[in-house]
Amino acid sequence: MDGWAGKILDIDLSSGSVKTYPLDEKVARLFVGGRGLGARMLWDEVGPEVEPLSPDNVLIFTTGPLTATGYQTSNRFSVTTKSPLTGTVLDANSGGFWGMQFKKTGYDALIVRGRAEKPVYIEIKPTGVTINDAQPLWGKRVREVTQALGQNDHRRNVLCIGPAGENLGRMAAIMNDGQRSLARGGPGAVMGSKNLKAIVVEGKQRPGIDDDERFKFMLYETRKLLRASPLTSQALPEFGTVVMMNIVNNIGALPTRNHQQTQFEGAEAISGETLTEKYLVKNASCWACPIGCTRISKTDKVEAEGPEFETTWAFGAQCGIDDLAAIIEANALCNDFGLDTISVGSTIACAMELVEKGKLDADLHFGRADLLAPTIEAIAYRRELGSDLAEGSLRLATKYGLPELSMSVKGLEMPAYDPRGMQGQGLLYATSNRGACHMRGNMLGLEVLGLPKLIDRFQVQGKSSYVILHQNSSAAIDSLVICKFTNMGVADEYFARTLTAVTGIPYSTGDLIKVGERVWNIERLYNLREGFTRADDTLPPRLLNEPVADGPSKGWVSKLEPMLKEYYRARGWDEQWVPKPKKLAELELVNLMEAAR
Amino acid sequence: MIDERIYEQFREIGRDLYVGDLISSHGGNISIRVGDHVIIKRRGAQLGRLKMHDLIETQIDKNDSGVALASTELLVHRKIYQMTPALAVVHCHPRTAIAFSLSRDEIVPIDNEASYLLKKVPVIWEEFASGTPEMAKNLATMLQSYKIVMLRGHGSFAIGQTIDEAFHWSSTLEESCQIALAAKVINEPFMEYRKMSEAYNKW
Repeated sequence: MDGWAGKILDIDLSSGSVKTYPLDEKVARLFVGGRGLGARMLWDEVGPEVEPLSPDNVLIFTTGPLTATGYQTSNRFSVTTKSPLTGTVLDANSGGFWGMQFKKTGYDALIVRGRAEKPVYIEIKPTGVTINDAQPLWGKRVREVTQALGQNDHRRNVLCIGPAGENLGRMAAIMNDGQRSLARGGPGAVMGSKNLKAIVVEGKQRPGIDDDERFKFMLYETRKLLRASPLTSQALPEFGTVVMMNIVNNIGALPTRNHQQTQFEGAEAISGETLTEKYLVKNASCWACPIGCTRISKTDKVEAEGPEFETTWAFGAQCGIDDLAAIIEANALCNDFGLDTISVGSTIACAMELVEKGKLDADLHFGRADLLAPTIEAIAYRRELGSDLAEGSLRLATKYGLPELSMSVKGLEMPAYDPRGMQGQGLLYATSNRGACHMRGNMLGLEVLGLPKLIDRFQVQGKSSYVILHQNSSAAIDSLVICKFTNMGVADEYFARTLTAVTGIPYSTGDLIKVGERVWNIERLYNLREGFTRADDTLPPRLLNEPVADGPSKGWVSKLEPMLKEYYRARGWDEQWVPKPKKLAELELVNLMEAAR
Repeated sequence: MIDERIYEQFREIGRDLYVGDLISSHGGNISIRVGDHVIIKRRGAQLGRLKMHDLIETQIDKNDSGVALASTELLVHRKIYQMTPALAVVHCHPRTAIAFSLSRDEIVPIDNEASYLLKKVPVIWEEFASGTPEMAKNLATMLQSYKIVMLRGHGSFAIGQTIDEAFHWSSTLEESCQIALAAKVINEPFMEYRKMSEAYNKW
């Protein structure tokens, strides 16, 4: 099998056993890799009886058949587990170098199970796999650990947790290559619960490519398209993802002060243009990426990667803060503690509104940039109120009596797009399997950027079709695993043809989208087995009932219910969102159905 | 009840297809996928003069009263939605492309725009060029891998996420064929300007 390494590494930290077994070829063909392979493995490994932070939960690190081939952005990898924040299936993926290096160790996946008695780190090298003492590293921050373990971008790569993961914070991220993150849903806490501080990889094996000539042509064509797209060749390299700040604000879809408004008067001050003008030191790129959207930013206090758009929004507009230097510093702190910036920013905003509503007595107020750093540190170390915040916004708001102030779906905090101004985005958030997520089929392209063509963002009828296609497409891209920004210049058709060139297995565009649909359905089955119901596919009441007061989205609420009805029918699910037998047969998932019931 | 925004898309693209000489007065049809339903032009309606009542909604997998009113090409559109990720279909009669389809099994553009966007357009053939289950299945199978396909002597079927996108592929194909025709008329040696262009034949 070209493309795939063909092996899975299985490490039990309780017993210290290290095993290797072959990757099932049929599973590889059906689920490809990354998120898809992870979801299929999690299905077998972790049932509803398993608590997310118990030794019986697993961490599954996966790559895909394109990883380390040199195809544009083929650096990414994925982690799959049961989320301690949401209780759902969780996949998070990250760029940088670690994924490429892990694939070169000769494995498609690593499964980590059990719990070590004392802190350890895993080292995977051409000479073998070892489990080493990490007690001297425990308590250390991400940058220090990464350097101590010998990070070298092209030869030796470090993945680790910071204090937030050690302290089992439900918003804890796993960090790789120093400042890249597998952020959402709390995978860092699962790693912390296993007493696993880090995984270090060194590899030498390059994946095989079935048709080298065709692969080179796909490399050439993809490079041409990425250069031709102003988004991937100009906007992202020049301004980073923060280029979206003014765009989303201008259409009245930028959630502000915990979604109380949809436009932020301070947007310009925290925009991509301001970031580039005042704080940008240089660009950086992940391995094999021609786009280069990574920022290296500098303030009086820090020089660090980032911030991304979502981060800048979460600590900015969502908290009513227009101090970009403070946001850059908050981002750097989160990276060093190992925290998800979206969830942390939105949870702080939730706390600010709880204070505003008189439900919480704390010094947390919208617009106060000086409060960000100490609050983030309190969350990482679970100090005082920080311990409540470390549980995420839903548990926080529930504890203080106003759960509706948590701007989350299934307990995962929403990203930077208000569903009242982007109807499709609301349906996307509500139906997303890991909770509210913009990386699960973002409607930004269709509803705002005109990729591939602009559709009316307030249109309701027919929106389900777009959302479903993009959910399936994103699941397929996450299974390859490559960066979704390539999809801003290159259509799915190119990915299918590249997959064919690499593996020798003919995948049409339709086949690739079918892979994504299969992944989406097995994730849905997983959540069903966990006890989630149709009632969990919803949005916070504010977005359903409180019309936007002014601006370009004035008067709109999310018209979720008619979109949901259309969505379930089109998905081939019944009214209780259970996939129908015909759909499962079509996706070759029929044997999983009884367990889900 | 069909959303006014959807009607506007049909009306504008339908008009453009007619004005752009991509259809005759009553030829061609367009549709979109709406969940598990399809909205398609009414049988016999003129694409260049669509009214709201010319849009017919029916199901993709099941018959209902809508099929009595829908375009004669409904079978093909349904099959495309069943077998591909398409959210929109544009079927038109691009004249120069039809002429090329009479003598070729595939149309490989020589101009920059279509090389960039389409790479290659397969030509398929059936005894009855429209309306049969066999033709519908063959066409949909081909559209799993290509965004636009020619039916020999009949016309093109293009898919996209929006009608606008499928229209884009359709007009690009016809423009490309007109350029190829002009180049034939000029009849001078072709000077290749594209790197790795031989790979387009294998697309």
